[in-house]
Amino acid sequence: MYTGPAGSAKLTEQIHDFNVHIDSNDVFWMVRVPHEALEVDFDDAKASLRVHKLQVFDDHDIANSLTFGLGLPGDLGFPYPAIPPVAPIRATVSFDVEWNGIVEAAQIHNTGQRFMGSFLSTGATINWSAEEPGFRFQSEPPDPARNLISVLGHEQNGVFFS
Amino acid sequence: MKRTVIHPASRRAFLGTMGSAGMALGATLLSPRPAYADGEDGDGQHASCALLNPIPGGLAPFRPFAIFIHHNPLNPLAPLANINDPSQITDFHGFVGLTHIRGGGTGTNTDTGETTPLAYQADMGFGQGKFISTDGRLHKGSFAFV
Repeated sequence: MYTGPAGSAKLTEQIHDFNVHIDSNDVFWMVRVPHEALEVDFDDAKASLRVHKLQVFDDHDIANSLTFGLGLPGDLGFPYPAIPPVAPIRATVSFDVEWNGIVEAAQIHNTGQRFMGSFLSTGATINWSAEEPGFRFQSEPPDPARNLISVLGHEQNGVFFS
Repeated sequence: MKRTVIHPASRRAFLGTMGSAGMALGATLLSPRPAYADGEDGDGQHASCALLNPIPGGLAPFRPFAIFIHHNPLNPLAPLANINDPSQITDFHGFVGLTHIRGGGTGTNTDTGETTPLAYQADMGFGQGKFISTDGRLHKGSFAFV
């Protein structure tokens, strides 16, 4: 979340960063959700992810999130600014993410990364909110024009790659 | 005081390097919940302590500081056929979704009622399907990327 105008995302203007943290096996920001939180209709290029009051952390900004609260020292040079250390706090987020409509389709067989499958570039919208002590946020109504890129895939990787 | 520059490392290596110093700001104070695997039947009744395995690839966005993350962000300028693996989970067979959305909304100071227009960037997604977890067994599950 940023203090700049809607659509902006400058690190130096970031004041909230909600995520579930990297887990103890280095899996990046993934959390188990009930099966019914997800609806996927890949053939029709549709999917939805709906979660209510998920417990997350607010790391203030992505730099503090990825340095576990150390911030950035300021001597890394361009393009990294100095980011003061900030401790995370607990928060909850609720969201309804909708993927809908094919923009482009591709079959991928990537031997370097060992993944393969059918992939769709799609439209997408999100309606989300956040709450933490002293603060809450409500996003604007879902707007398809806000989507920069969204992807659905039916894939196999790792040991399932062939 | 000059800070030690840390080369990109995994979360585990990063935490091990930093030891018990003041970095305890976040990582030890607020431990994350591991993304546990579900039972093969996927009904949530047989949840195990097995963990998901991350994809081997990813990037180090604040090189040489910060950590290596096992995630490939979407690039709006890249053709779909050239995307990197959008899954965060390896040994995975199922559906994945990612979004990269920027928009706006309203922040409210709940103590004063003051409201402020704010911008957001939502990089979110999901994984749903079967996968091999750290116990070497096949599981099914649904996961949100948040």
